[in-house]
Amino acid sequence: MTEGKELTTWLDKVLTEIEGIEIRRKSSRRLRVDVAADALPALLELLRGRASYVHLSAISCVDWLDDGEFELVYHVWSYEMQSLVSAHTRIPREPGIYISVYDIYTPAAFFERDIHEMYGVFFEGSPDMSKFILTEWDGPPPMRKDFDSEAWVNDHFDWQNYNPEWLQEIIAQGGGIAVRPDEQRFSRKQ
Amino acid sequence: MTDRKQITQQQSARPGDSLPVKPGKRTNPLAHVFDELIDFARSRSLFMLHYCTGCGAVELPPAMTSRFDMERLGIQPMVTPRQADILLVTGYVSVKTLKRVILTYEQMPAPKYVIGICSCTVNGGMYWQSYATAKKLNDYLPVDVYIAGCMPRPEAVIAGMRHLMETIKNGEANAWQDYYRRYDHYLGNQQRLFGQTWQTPTDVIAEAKYYGQIGPETRGAHTAMLEKHQKPLEALDLQLSISELEHRRS
Repeated sequence: MTEGKELTTWLDKVLTEIEGIEIRRKSSRRLRVDVAADALPALLELLRGRASYVHLSAISCVDWLDDGEFELVYHVWSYEMQSLVSAHTRIPREPGIYISVYDIYTPAAFFERDIHEMYGVFFEGSPDMSKFILTEWDGPPPMRKDFDSEAWVNDHFDWQNYNPEWLQEIIAQGGGIAVRPDEQRFSRKQ
Repeated sequence: MTDRKQITQQQSARPGDSLPVKPGKRTNPLAHVFDELIDFARSRSLFMLHYCTGCGAVELPPAMTSRFDMERLGIQPMVTPRQADILLVTGYVSVKTLKRVILTYEQMPAPKYVIGICSCTVNGGMYWQSYATAKKLNDYLPVDVYIAGCMPRPEAVIAGMRHLMETIKNGEANAWQDYYRRYDHYLGNQQRLFGQTWQTPTDVIAEAKYYGQIGPETRGAHTAMLEKHQKPLEALDLQLSISELEHRRS
């Protein structure tokens, strides 16, 4: 593992040479890189081609509603250095279009399709942007922060009657529901 | 039926006949016994199709196997809906899964019973505000027994099963008839969720006719919508292609 450590310090040095990116080493095996959206594919190309980060573990997406931005995080793993680099980048929420990294990492197609479905981010150059898991879904992308899940649920479903007649008998005998669902639900607490 | 009644009345009107027969009552004393016997036998041999959608399925293996041994009640798992009596829905039902559950339910021969296990089938449970799961199972299928709990222990599952057996024995478990009698209501809820073009391969109205369960609410606005969008079913194109075999043949 000593070899791996030397390599990581080497990587830190190389990355600090590049302008416009900010690196934060979390631990000996975790590195966070913040990079501008237009430089990210080049960084991934460097990490994959020269620095042995051949495994794209996941692409995650964070919706920063107040900033009007999506944060995309590319987690890449190196088997030789045994370390993970998280490349963070931010793109504007509108129109929410970014370029695919499918040509660098093939598994990106899977993650990008998922993010497109859940957040509505369109990846140009991705092989397939059709529906993936939510094949029955025709509403807005459900993982966006401005999607009101509770309102949607109230719109589409009916609720079970919480005061059925048979419960009245139990209440009269001193039983019943201890905490009513309306009181228990956090979103309805004032 | 009316013919036989007339005959019995004629017979009772015969002079010298001491047996008093009340009009309108069945005269065959064995007829009801057979019904009761059938109900009893039916309640004692239930084939269960467990549609394990959620975490509640974890409680089924101990309920079915040697610890609690469901089979001593005459309940055993069945692999196909065509031979099953009980549809057991264990846990949350996502909108996608619900379609499959309805397809499965409609493939089962009547009389059929639905048991909803876990809080999720009652009212969404802990997924109550999820966009992806259906909340009330009895909006889409007629549910005979709900076993609430998150998750219910095998004792509770067996208690629910025993309750179902009791109602079958007494001839009260008639929720499956409700699906035919109020098909328009159930179809309306299904269409609300799946869209107006929703259709299943089963002709439920024809089945309702077969079982003599056509009611005033069997047909309605929603079944009219179904008939408008219904496409005739086509046989699946079955193809078997094993490249190795084809290679050998050529």
